[in-house]
Amino acid sequence: MAEILAERYTGASIKRSEDPRILTGRGRYVDDIKLPGMLHAAFVRSPLAHGKVLSVDVSAARELPGVVGVYTGADVESMTVPGPDLLASMMGGGVPMPEFTLLATDKVRLVGDPVVLVVAESRALAEDGAELVEVDYDELPAVANAATALDPSSTPVFDNLGNNIARPHSRNEFGDVASAFANADRTYEFTVNVHRHQNVPMEGRACVADFDAASGSMTMYAATQSVHVAKMAVAMRLGLEQDKVRVLAGDIGGSFGLKIGASREELAVAAASRVLGRPVKWVEDRGENLTTSGQAREESFDVRVAVSNDGDLLALDVNMVIDTGAYPGMGGMVPNIIEGMLPGPYKMQALGFESTGAITNKATYVAYRGPWASETFVRERIIDVIAKDLGLDPLEMRLRNVVDNTDPPANMITGRPLVGVTTKESMQRVAELVDVEAFRRRQEAERANGRYLGLGMATFIEAAPGPRSAESGQGLMGMEQMRLRLDDDGIVVLFTGQMPHGQSHQTTLAQIAADEFGVPFEQVRVVVGDTDQVPFGLTGGSRSATMTGGVALHGARQLKAKVLDFAANLMEANADDLDIVDGRVEVRGDPSSAITVTEVAHQAGDVDLEVQASYDGGEGGWSGGTHCAIVEVDVETGLVKIERYVVSEDCGALINPAVVEGQIRGGVAQGIGAVLLERSAYDENGNFQSATFMDYLLPTACDIPRIEIDHLETVPLDAHVNFRGVGEGGMIVAPPTLVNAIEDALTPFGVRIFEQHLPPARILELIETPT
Amino acid sequence: MDITVTVNGAKRSGAPEARKTLADYLRDDLELTGTHLGCEHGVCGACTVIVDGRAVRSCLMLAVQADGSEVTTVEGLAADGEMAPLQQALWDSHGFQCGFCTPGFLMQATAFLDGHPDADEASLREALSGNICRCTGYQSIVDGVLLAAERMRQG
Repeated sequence: MAEILAERYTGASIKRSEDPRILTGRGRYVDDIKLPGMLHAAFVRSPLAHGKVLSVDVSAARELPGVVGVYTGADVESMTVPGPDLLASMMGGGVPMPEFTLLATDKVRLVGDPVVLVVAESRALAEDGAELVEVDYDELPAVANAATALDPSSTPVFDNLGNNIARPHSRNEFGDVASAFANADRTYEFTVNVHRHQNVPMEGRACVADFDAASGSMTMYAATQSVHVAKMAVAMRLGLEQDKVRVLAGDIGGSFGLKIGASREELAVAAASRVLGRPVKWVEDRGENLTTSGQAREESFDVRVAVSNDGDLLALDVNMVIDTGAYPGMGGMVPNIIEGMLPGPYKMQALGFESTGAITNKATYVAYRGPWASETFVRERIIDVIAKDLGLDPLEMRLRNVVDNTDPPANMITGRPLVGVTTKESMQRVAELVDVEAFRRRQEAERANGRYLGLGMATFIEAAPGPRSAESGQGLMGMEQMRLRLDDDGIVVLFTGQMPHGQSHQTTLAQIAADEFGVPFEQVRVVVGDTDQVPFGLTGGSRSATMTGGVALHGARQLKAKVLDFAANLMEANADDLDIVDGRVEVRGDPSSAITVTEVAHQAGDVDLEVQASYDGGEGGWSGGTHCAIVEVDVETGLVKIERYVVSEDCGALINPAVVEGQIRGGVAQGIGAVLLERSAYDENGNFQSATFMDYLLPTACDIPRIEIDHLETVPLDAHVNFRGVGEGGMIVAPPTLVNAIEDALTPFGVRIFEQHLPPARILELIETPT
Repeated sequence: MDITVTVNGAKRSGAPEARKTLADYLRDDLELTGTHLGCEHGVCGACTVIVDGRAVRSCLMLAVQADGSEVTTVEGLAADGEMAPLQQALWDSHGFQCGFCTPGFLMQATAFLDGHPDADEASLREALSGNICRCTGYQSIVDGVLLAAERMRQG
């Protein structure tokens, strides 16, 4: 690799150390693994949304040459330890826990529910075998939507629950909701819907399970956001002691929240490997990925809003219903996060929030980039609607209601202090960048020409890492661990539980450690993806910039201190007088004294130059920003063209600007896809309608505009670590930004929009029958 | 069926099952796992390779159909350990994130630039619109390919 010249690596767009392998075809994804004697898995899946399994005949499949094992749901139960789903119990939040098996035994609960596992000498033979399995079902009425699920007469998807309530109705109030509404000049009522859509990483779920009978241990090669969570799941369900399970991960083809822990299919594959004593690979195909891996969002919100005639946002009262799909995932806990985040960076006297979770015959509700994003959609959407009703520019209404960045900070009505929030600055900056007034003049002129332009803005804050709790003093994200070592060849090695799948941690963490320790970037390695080597951790929740960046910074300082202590003996100097500069240990101000870090490492012998570091998020704080879209809507075809997309964001100090901007643009692209293209569609019988890329449409290079990004970098809260998370914001705020712009374009038609999915056909409907 | 395919300049002979796709043949039989499978129905473009000068979806082509052809995969782009200008430019531009779609974009862009060395951004985006990237929002990829084209024009 070429020498990288930079004063400091941190803050520069250092070229990624991941790229040489990725650009030359030498990345190593799960499907690239080939082990001696490796077998291949395929699943027989339910064609029905809801049904009883009457009989399963696997005899023909078992006789097919090349098929090595065929396992029904009952077989897999006998090969595993029954237990709750690990992820559901971690994320459950005390909601009712349905009973179910890894593969379906008595019932199937969604189209694509795995029923039988076939293992064969090749993937093609496994699929041949799966074709030969005969399953008889007794179809049950599908619970195809939340309204059906909440009807007490609906057929329970899980017998042990006796109803289809994933999360019982609850209501909380913050501030005096009743009097805020009673004293308001005006109140509004809306119902806002967010449609079901999904992560769709380019690599689906995949694993190779390799059980070694001699040692009784399992090695799992996984595509996962946390090797340790996957290990826990495998150990629990296989009844293995933790030390008998090792999970390894290499390159991962994206995830966006999907690949946490180990899925039901992966656990069944692991069980098969143990029974067979051979490695078994499973790589889901795109149909399986779209149908069964998981989906997100489908939520409805009945919203009451209290405002003053001047545009003061006084209170919200929201009733949320979430469609959590069949098997438990993250759906049970999402309302809790939405409740806490709904006020956003706005002054508000009161919030009422109630929620109910529904179980339906659809794919599991999983985490998808900014899982609570609907709170931003609801809030930012209704602000536009109300502002226009009051004759205010939406920007004016936002500026009127948003908190100032004061000391002491304002608190959200739901409790969290809005410390260091620069929402107002980002709004003003975006307004400058797009020149709103000039746009309004152009919009007016073009309407006369039959061209419909619109401008929309939306703003968000993200708890990445979030403020310290006022009561406990604790950070929101707990602790982050890192092990750091100076190897005897002079390489500084960072062992992190982060499991990058596109986030560039091998570059960004090395940048920080190189600066703090004092060695060239190339002299730092970042080790990920091996439960035998890395501490517990998880990549997700926009966690790594602050938490892992912070532990890398403090850990590198700790390691440096330890190395200098050792070097002091070697150099017969006082450790306090030593520094490490560009890979050389020297007495401060006397470069002639220097010996290389590599030489020091060589001399260490039995001296252990290793530290365990941990970090609690420091002073914490918020990440956030304001986005603005300018669109043109073709009212003949319903097509939306995004003319300009501008971002002003504040994620504190940038570790690597190119990486930050890649995260923002990628998130915005997913948000644009969610509005204009993507929908996980089911019919009224629970049949999945979007199981291919011809039906589930993803944005292409022609759909995503250039995205202009302005960085505020104005939040120095912590004396040392001011990096904030930036992974989710784009996906959180792009949908309301775009929908606000589309509605603005369609103002002459009286269109108001209370939904998020706006493909051309829907735009035309809205123009024809405005709501 | 016995076939001989010239892959990245080397003649490779084999006898794949008639139903085996070119993608599976490259990945499983020839162990060239740089070519990725993202959808196996010809939409995402991750499996794009160059066959006789044209970018094709190797998930939609059978291995036996490639008999007698010249195939270039992502592994064939770098010569003597030196990245091709396109690879270098995409590295310089922070083109990719997770890397799964990368081989398809590289092969599609290689074939496109071969015939359109002066491509502008709009025609490049059109040419890349059959390749899906879920991570980047495309701007960094487009910038990288345009940078490569500029460097190649300047020789």
